[in-house]
Order: sequence, then structure tokens, then C-alpha cells
Amino acid sequence: MDQSAPPRQRTRRITIVALDPSFRVKRGGRKRILTTEIEVPAEVLAPGPSGYRVQVIDYDASTNTLYKPSREVSDGGRPDELEDSQILSDPHFHARNVYAIVMRTLARFEFALGRRVSWGFYGHQLKVAPHAFADANAFYTEDNQALMFGYFPSRKGMVFTCLSHHIVAHETTHALLDGLRQRYTDPSSPEQAAFHEGFADVVALLSIFSLRDVVRGVIDLRSKRRDGIFSHSQFVSAAALTPEKLRNSVLLGLAEEMGQELSGVRGDALRRSATLIPDTRYMDDPEFREPHRRGEILVAAIINAFLEVWVKRLRDLGRVSPRGLNRDRVVEEGAEIADYLLTMSIRALDYAPPVDLQFCDYLSALLTADREIRTDDSKYNFRKILLESFNRYKMPPTSKGDGDEPGVWRPPRARMRYERTHFESMQRDPNEVFRFIWENRKDLELFEDAYTRVQSVRPCLRIGPDGFALKETIAEYIQMIELQASELRSLGIKALKAMPADTVVKIYGGGALVFDEYGLLKFHVHNRILDTERQTKRLEYLWQHGYIQKGSSLYRRISHMHRLRALGLAAPRPNEE
Amino acid sequence: MPADAKPYELRLRAYQVGFGDCFLLTFKYERTRRHVLIDFGSSGKPPATSEDLMLRVANNIKDSCEGKLHAVVATHRHKDHISGFATRQGKGPGDIIASCKPEVVIQPWTEDPRLRPNARSATQRPSRRKSFTAGLQCMHEFSGAMLKELARLRPGLGKGLYNQLAFLGEDNIKNKSAVNNLMKMGRRHLYVRFGSRSGLESVIPGVKTWVLGPPDPEQSEEILKMRSKDADEFWHLLSLTGKFISRSDVGALFPTAESYSTPPPQTRWLIHHMQSLRADQLLEIVRALDDVMNNTSVILLFEVGGKKFLFPGDAQWENWTYALSKPAICTLLEDVCLYKVGHHGSLNATPKSLWKLFKNRSTTKSAARLQCVISTMSGKHGSASRGTEVPRTKLVEELKKESDYFTTQELRGKKTFFKDFDFRLR
Repeated sequence: MDQSAPPRQRTRRITIVALDPSFRVKRGGRKRILTTEIEVPAEVLAPGPSGYRVQVIDYDASTNTLYKPSREVSDGGRPDELEDSQILSDPHFHARNVYAIVMRTLARFEFALGRRVSWGFYGHQLKVAPHAFADANAFYTEDNQALMFGYFPSRKGMVFTCLSHHIVAHETTHALLDGLRQRYTDPSSPEQAAFHEGFADVVALLSIFSLRDVVRGVIDLRSKRRDGIFSHSQFVSAAALTPEKLRNSVLLGLAEEMGQELSGVRGDALRRSATLIPDTRYMDDPEFREPHRRGEILVAAIINAFLEVWVKRLRDLGRVSPRGLNRDRVVEEGAEIADYLLTMSIRALDYAPPVDLQFCDYLSALLTADREIRTDDSKYNFRKILLESFNRYKMPPTSKGDGDEPGVWRPPRARMRYERTHFESMQRDPNEVFRFIWENRKDLELFEDAYTRVQSVRPCLRIGPDGFALKETIAEYIQMIELQASELRSLGIKALKAMPADTVVKIYGGGALVFDEYGLLKFHVHNRILDTERQTKRLEYLWQHGYIQKGSSLYRRISHMHRLRALGLAAPRPNEE
Repeated sequence: MPADAKPYELRLRAYQVGFGDCFLLTFKYERTRRHVLIDFGSSGKPPATSEDLMLRVANNIKDSCEGKLHAVVATHRHKDHISGFATRQGKGPGDIIASCKPEVVIQPWTEDPRLRPNARSATQRPSRRKSFTAGLQCMHEFSGAMLKELARLRPGLGKGLYNQLAFLGEDNIKNKSAVNNLMKMGRRHLYVRFGSRSGLESVIPGVKTWVLGPPDPEQSEEILKMRSKDADEFWHLLSLTGKFISRSDVGALFPTAESYSTPPPQTRWLIHHMQSLRADQLLEIVRALDDVMNNTSVILLFEVGGKKFLFPGDAQWENWTYALSKPAICTLLEDVCLYKVGHHGSLNATPKSLWKLFKNRSTTKSAARLQCVISTMSGKHGSASRGTEVPRTKLVEELKKESDYFTTQELRGKKTFFKDFDFRLR
């Protein structure tokens, strides 16, 4: 490929491993790793590949080896031409594979949000190490501005986490979420940490459905028959299209390759969240306080809603042939519904409070995000179905709704003052937004004595189903106050008996401000510093789990969380000092 | 009552072995003396000590027990508890201890040879225990491999981080010579768990003993949380990974791919960060396996002449949780008069819930005041900046405030390498 000439197209196609290398299907008479082509934003790449947002650096810390990148920046050849041995043994293929999936996930976020998305660190290029170390772990690390993918030997050969579509999409989502909501990686409650994990799983799962050629061939392949035949049949049996069958399909298991190795059970996924049958007891069950486990509840609620909508649509299509439903139609419906839900799930972040997020807040954000762009919910009934699905897991929306629509955020009650701020500046200038906040601090229920900072101001443009653009400006602020435990009472927050009086604690608050196209405040989604009940609960959790101890809070959060999960540890030890 | 039915005095000899444990209990009867050695290991010698410290300690033990040990307790497999049992062609400290021909050797159930992955005979309920012990074996293997990986990372690491890793890695390698020697010495071997008979009843008459830990997987839900089936598999994977990394012929993951001998400038920032990150990861892993190993510690409680003496090895919170969940055990622990401080004074080895049980704690001096003995060495384990230093400053302050506190760090002279505590028994 000529690197000097700018590409003409807006996108390029790159060949990747469709699911993971353990997933092999008979295709063209041979059993092979399933590959596919995906579209990513086109750009003039440097060797690495190294692009405007992603820089692959193939350093292996365990063996202290820095691999040279390919001088040729190719697109990997057509999927059918690739041999399994080449896929597994060529580090240049691995580098391209991670580059492509990271870029695709980034592009998906930018499409949903209608704006460029920044990483959670000062820099434009996320570094990616496809063979970072010999370890069954992969994670995003903000301190290193990087995604790290480990590799490890198994009974059947080397497992490369960088070749698992789910894992790469999952870790990229951590990085993107950190760019959008920096405080979500703070220890706060089991639910906030769980949100990072659950949301990353949702994005990874739903992203797969847009690989139409892959879904087409494996939709009726059960996870227990992972080495089955890639189907070219025109029809899918109606029996394969029940929620239960789809839940157990190869498409809805996360990180199959790692899952098999860790559980020792072939075909069993590391986290098969979708099979978590609806039950109101999970939320209070101690087992579900571990972030990955708790994240599964969120995934289950969302994926079950997806399946319900999909199956209902298929039922409406009816049986067009005695042999089943038309395969292309089934896939097309699934892709469209997954795409819709994925966009809704990403957009909801703009409507979620920037600190101390709970699943119930996210549901209200999800419903509001959708209602704002699509008033009429009659095509899929998604809002109704999501509301019901969350309720089945005892996750009612935080907001009661605005009368017409249950669960959505209500507009601010008070009339805001706009006289001293300027419409134009309010769309991009954090100082101007801060002035607006300060002018209206009483009505916005801010705590005057706290350190307050506008973290971001982001104008965005989203296209609605009616073809008109929805213009919004999303601003995000946080408040923080540092106190000694003995001073908590002055704010009405209960100090824990076990906590020494001189223990330093940080109390956070913050909100998302959603302005309409005229610069008027539509929503103020916030958690107040003076919400004493919430703050007391948060401190209890942090203290009991040792997060207030010196040096414990920033310790490689995501990597650490993955490790705790692998070790079967729900959380750090309780504070026994 | 026969003259030797009950001891009239107990002497506890605490040896200065740096970062490690070594305690000799001598039960004095009218006609005889009976000796129990609890642990003999070190993973860091005290400053200004001659290289032959362990030999001197071994010889002192032999002299004190007049060539006959009645029992040896090896609380768990860490180097700082068993390295002294290593042999060296008949001239090592372990050879000297073996020559004292202990009647009984007591170790945790995890050392039971019948639980080894290749063992032919199985215990009653082998699967979960076997899975657990296989996990422990993998941890030793990983520790060995980690030390090799650490050698590659060394140029990019700070001294503090390197030392911590090297210390934990060394402490968790298999200590093969010591392990084999422990298996060979002693007429009887007992592999105990919570509630087992200790096996000491016959060798120290008139002394009641309780085994309060470690629980086995069937006994304790707490230990299961720490050692789920996934966790066993995780350690297995790490062990495989370690083997791959430590193979001498592995220069790279893709041996035929081209690599740089000198990294280009634009990659150095990330490489430097990745080396530190990797070291942090390794530290996280070896800390986790160190905790698991500590939690296999035998916890022994002796009761004699109205006094109770508690030796918990390195048991940490997870090990203690099972015993402390039993009200009868909590009552039993209330009147402990000597507490060998767990795990050299680490953060999690003296749970608050245990400490609060001791009724002999007092801020004023008295004959009945709780005696705490700690064998430790500052600056070897953990870091003050993370609040994990051993001994933990906060704990030491509390121990000093509410008990008669003794630390082996007070034994500084070249010739002073032990201290005796005598307890008159009713």
C-alpha cells in the first residue's frame, strides 16, 4: 500500500479474527479460524500501525523484546486467504488486529455521540501493546496511556488476548469510558466499578452483531459446538431463534478463549452474563458485590431487552418458509436492533451523573437519551422493554419520569439565569460554563465551599430518525471537598466509629448539564455533595474495603480488578487495622 | 499424680533470626524436660551477623534440648519459617536438627504427601484439597520463574521495588531441601487442620493443645472465597506461563520475527513504563500467593498450668476468620497470656477481632499482663507509603501500649541471639 498518498476513501477494510482463534468453523471444506473484514476510519498510517488515535508498540516486558513493525502497512489480505498458522504466528497480523478493533470501537463511540471522543489522559494517541507480558490478563491503564494485552500458554498452545475480539473491544471501551467520565474509575461503590465492567461487556457484545457475515454463518451455532460448520443455508430454523437459544449462542459469550482456560470447561464463557435469569435477589446478594459479577446484572438486563426486541421482531416477520426464517433478514434485524441499542447505550453516558454512578441512574440516562432523539418508541418499544427488564433485576430508574414518559430525567424545576453568560462561549468554554454554574449555584444545589471544576464542555450533533439534527451541548462538572473524619458531622455525614478522627476523606459531587440548541438547560443530572445518605453509604463501603487506607485508591484499578476476579477474591480484605 | 504428669515451668526461647521465626519451647517436668521447636527459618539476616547464624542457632537448639527434640512444628512452607531445616551434606543446620530425632513433626494439611498431584493414594475427600495443593505447587513454580523474569527487568527497576520482589520470590520458592528433610525427620508426621489432634498430646503430657488453623476448603467458606476453582486454574496457568518464560531457549515469543536491539526513541517512554508496570503486576501476584501460603499456617494454642500460649505462625485474616467464627474458640482465646505476634507484625495477621478478645491486655504493668513476642526485621517486607510495612507501625504502637512487648530486633549483639521467657505453671 502506498503510504505517501492520502487514501481516497473515508474508510478502509482490515481483516481480523472474527471472535477468537479457538473458534473454528468448516468453511470451504476446511476447518479454520473464522476471520472477517471490518471497516475502520481511513488514514495514512505509519509503521506500527501507528495512526492519529492509536499507536501499536509491540514490546513484550516479560521477554524484554521489542518487535519491529511491518514496513508495509497492509490490510491483512482477504479473510479467505489467511492460514491459521499465519494468524497465530505473525506478530504483524496481531498488531493490525488490535489496531483495527480499537479504531472501530472508537469510531462507533464517535458516531453515537456525534463528536470526537478524547482519551482519559493528556494525549491523542492511545498506545497498544499486543504482547505486553506473559499473563492471562488484559487491561487499560490510564497512567501508561495504553491498552495492555497479555498472552499465556495453555494446554493447546499459546493464547493471545489481542486476538479476542471481545477482549479488545472490552478494554477499548474502558479507555473510552475513562475519557468520557474520568471519575468512574474511582473506588466509590460496588456499582460504579461494576458499571465499567458491565458497560464494556455490553459494547463488546453488541459490536459483534454488526459483523453481518459472521453472524450470518454462526447464528444457529450453539456454544457447545464451537467447531461447527459455517452455515451457508438460506434459512434459520425458528427453533434456533428463541431467547434461550440465542442466549447460549456463540455470539453472546464473552472472551471465550480465556474463559475456557480459566474455567477448564470447553465452550463455557468467562462471563456469560446473558444467561443470568431475571431475579430481584441479585442486587442484595453478597456474591454480586464483586464488580464483574455485579456488572453481569447490568449486562443481563440490557442483553435480555435486546433479545426480547429481536425475537419479537422476528415473530412479527412470521415463518416465511417451512424451513424457517430467511437468514439474511434475521441477521439484518439483529444487526439493526443491536446497532440501535448500542448507540442508545453510548449516548446515555452524556445523561449520566459524572460521579458515584448507580445502575438506576444509568437506566434513567438510557431512557432520556433515547427519548430526546426519538420521541416515538413504537417501532421497537425499546424504552418500555428496557424499563421492564431492569425492573426484573430490581433496578428501577432513579427518576420517576416526567409524566408522559416513565423513568426519564425531569427538566430542572428552577428558572436558570442566563443574563451574564454568552450563548456562543457556553458551547465550548469551560470558564463560561463555570460562570453559569456559579451564577446559578443555589438552584443547581451546589455546595459553595467545595472545590468546583468544569471538566468538559462538548457540543454534539446527532441525527434523529426524522432526518433533523439534534444539537446539544454537554458540560460536566465535579465538586470535591477534603475533610477529616471528625469534620464529617458538620455536613450531616455520619462518621464511622472505627474511623480515626484524623482520617482524611474526600467527598465528591458533580453533575452533567445538557443544554439544548438554544443554550437553555434541558437537564441537570447530578449527585450532590450534601446528599448525606449517599455519602455515608459510600464512606462505609470505602472504609470497609480498605480503600481509604494510604496509597490504596489508585493502584492500577482495572488491572487490579481483573486480578481479584481471577483469584476469586470479591474485594480487598475488610479494614482490620 | 506421677512426677512427670505435668510440667511446672515453661521456657520460651525466641531466637534472633532476622526476618523469620524460630522458637524453642521447653516444658520442665520434675524429672525431665521436653522440647518443641516451632519453625526455624530466615529470609533476611540481621545486620552485622555472621554468615553462620543459622548454624549457631541450630547448635544452640541442640545444646538446649540435650540432643533430643520431642516435636518440630513447621507452621508453613515459607523460607522464613523453614529455611533452617535445609541440609548441606550433613553439615547444614537442618542436619543438626534432624540429628535431634524429633518424635513428631507437625505441618499443615497442605503438606500431606498424599495430596500431591502425582500421589497414588488419596485421602478421604481428595478433589478439593488436591486442587488446592496443586495450586500451591504452581505458586512455588511461578515464584521460581518470576525470579528469572525479574532478572531481565532489573535494569529498569528501582531498588526498592526490585528488593521487595526478590524477597517475596525467594520466600515462596519451594525450599526443596528443607521440605525433604522435614519429611524424613521424625517418627510420626501429622498434617493438621482446624480441629485436628495436634499429635503433641503424647510427647508433652499435661499440656492441652488446640489446632485452630488452617481450615481446609471443606471447612471454611472464607478460604473458598480466596481459593475458588478459578483461582486454582489461574495458578496453574501462571505456572505454565512461568515455565515458558524461564525456559532458557526462549528469547522471544516469536523467535523468527525481527526485533530491535536498541529501542527507537519514540518507544522508550512506554517501554520504561511497561517494565515498572510489569514489576508491579508481579508484585501483586507474589503478594497474593504469599498471602495464600501464609494462610496455610498452623495455628497452635497450648494450655498448661492455667496459662495459654498462642502461636499462629503467619496466619492472616482469611485463616483466622474460620476459627473466630466459632464462639467457643473466641472464649478459649480470651485468657491467652502469651501471643507470638502473627506474620512478623503485618497488617492483616493480627485481626482487630482477635486482639480485642485478649482480656489480659492492659495499659498498666502487672504480672498478669499479656506478653507479646514478635520475631521480625524492619525494612524487609511491604512499604510504609502503601501502609503495608512489616512490622506495621500502628500495630506495634498498639501492642506496646497494651502488652509487655518484646521484639527480636532488640537482640543486637553478635553473641546475643536469643532471649528466654520463663512462665511458672500451677
